[in-house]
Amino acid sequence: MLNTATSYQLALQQLTDSALPTGAFAHSLGFETYIERGLVHDEASFGVWLSAFVSQQLTYSDGLGIRFLYEGVPVAELDALLTAQLLPRQLREASIKMGTRLLEIGDEVFPSPELTAYRELVTAGRSAGHQPLGFAVVARSLGVPLPEALAAYLFAAVTSLTQNAVRAIPLGQNAGQRLLRKASDGVAAAVERVGQLTPDDFGAVSPGLEISQMRHERQRARMFMS
Amino acid sequence: MSSGPPEAAQAVISPGPADRPERGRLELLITERGGKSIASRQFHQGGLRVLRPHYLDDSGQVCYVIVNPGGAYLGADLYVIDVEVGSGAKLLLTTQSAMKIYRTPGSFAEQRMTLRLGEGAQLELAPDQLIAYREASYRQNTHITVRPSSSLMMAEVVTPGWSPDGSSFRYEELRLRNEIHVDTGAGTELLALDNLLVRPPLDDVTGMGFMEGFSHLGSLIVVDPRVDQALADELHAVTQDHDAFTGISLTQSVAGTTGLIVRSLANSTEGLARLLGACTALLRHNWNGQDRLNLRKH
Repeated sequence: MLNTATSYQLALQQLTDSALPTGAFAHSLGFETYIERGLVHDEASFGVWLSAFVSQQLTYSDGLGIRFLYEGVPVAELDALLTAQLLPRQLREASIKMGTRLLEIGDEVFPSPELTAYRELVTAGRSAGHQPLGFAVVARSLGVPLPEALAAYLFAAVTSLTQNAVRAIPLGQNAGQRLLRKASDGVAAAVERVGQLTPDDFGAVSPGLEISQMRHERQRARMFMS
Repeated sequence: MSSGPPEAAQAVISPGPADRPERGRLELLITERGGKSIASRQFHQGGLRVLRPHYLDDSGQVCYVIVNPGGAYLGADLYVIDVEVGSGAKLLLTTQSAMKIYRTPGSFAEQRMTLRLGEGAQLELAPDQLIAYREASYRQNTHITVRPSSSLMMAEVVTPGWSPDGSSFRYEELRLRNEIHVDTGAGTELLALDNLLVRPPLDDVTGMGFMEGFSHLGSLIVVDPRVDQALADELHAVTQDHDAFTGISLTQSVAGTTGLIVRSLANSTEGLARLLGACTALLRHNWNGQDRLNLRKH
């Protein structure tokens, strides 16, 4: 018999495994625009983008959304906030697409009344179904403490983005692993910062990241949906 | 947000009651009378007032110019602006000169603006640029409520400010937060949340991901039932002729109205003003048969 901590850790590993079929392989979340402009072209330059993405977008939107859900803010309110805040259309659609898949998978493997309630809001068209919130609802129902849930979510995002960069730039597999090792410091710093932010900070954008995500809509040759 | 914890609830409700001393207040109610928009109520107090209204063309749109006699926002100053544009009324709201934020040691200057648009009301916001100097902290909260048939256009340019040694981005913190809600008749829904937070001491804001090596940031937000992808494509074509790094995208649609956002980075206030001016010129022409905005201030 597994104890609670062990069982949630295994569940967390399943949820954050890059093989979880949410379609993360299809999204660059804006870095493909930097590749096209020639600004991201190797291990070091992708590392700069990744670090900005973790310390800004993932911290102020996804991370803070997860924390607020853990603190008891109703998921419907956070869902509406994320839909309103993700101004680049492809980014908003990516969060909803991956979120909807996560809700479906979660319902099959880690069902809970909270998850059912969120799915019903989505089915009724009253919520969009965002990835960080779907993850937070499942993680919270499994008893995963907030710092672990945050770290796991952020590192999973970093892992799929890095795997996508390895294919797209392309980079060697070892370069990918070095990037992940380095990004873990950024993830730890982000977890720390998420805990210190205020509601006014929610959804703070970085203009460069955001403009690049918007410009991706008009990029001619592209591998990714965002 | 009534059921969330109070600290989180603040995320989407309108700016709370003035808990800090007010340095200036401006209230305007614009209504339409016989094809002409006029201020049917006007109130000002302290360091904010408006110049005598004028009409730039024969569209009936009234133009009000906000004046800050002090010329700048200083530490712990709170300014409150409350504007309602009634059904069918048209308002152009601008400023007399650049908004300057000087040192605000241990505190921050703040502007809270509430804007309400009635059915078919038009509001065009075209303030001068915002300049934050060394050791300045500034918060600007703008809370907007539109009806599905309202038309909103708001442009904004932020410049990096500078310090006596000539370096830029030396301010402490800049927060510009716009919330746009749609009053559908059956309730109010959040359409867009545009939150810019720049904290140069905390993060390197100059490089990749943030300012991308540029010094100036411009935004244009449009909310109108006529906003669609074709308009975004048309505006994209307009921005192509400008020396700036620009993105355009659409928000979700709520009750038949949609938001469009133009975000642009460049190296001069004039360059951004030209780009945003070209975008609003297209909208003014297509929607209202108006000429390009020319305020002849400078």
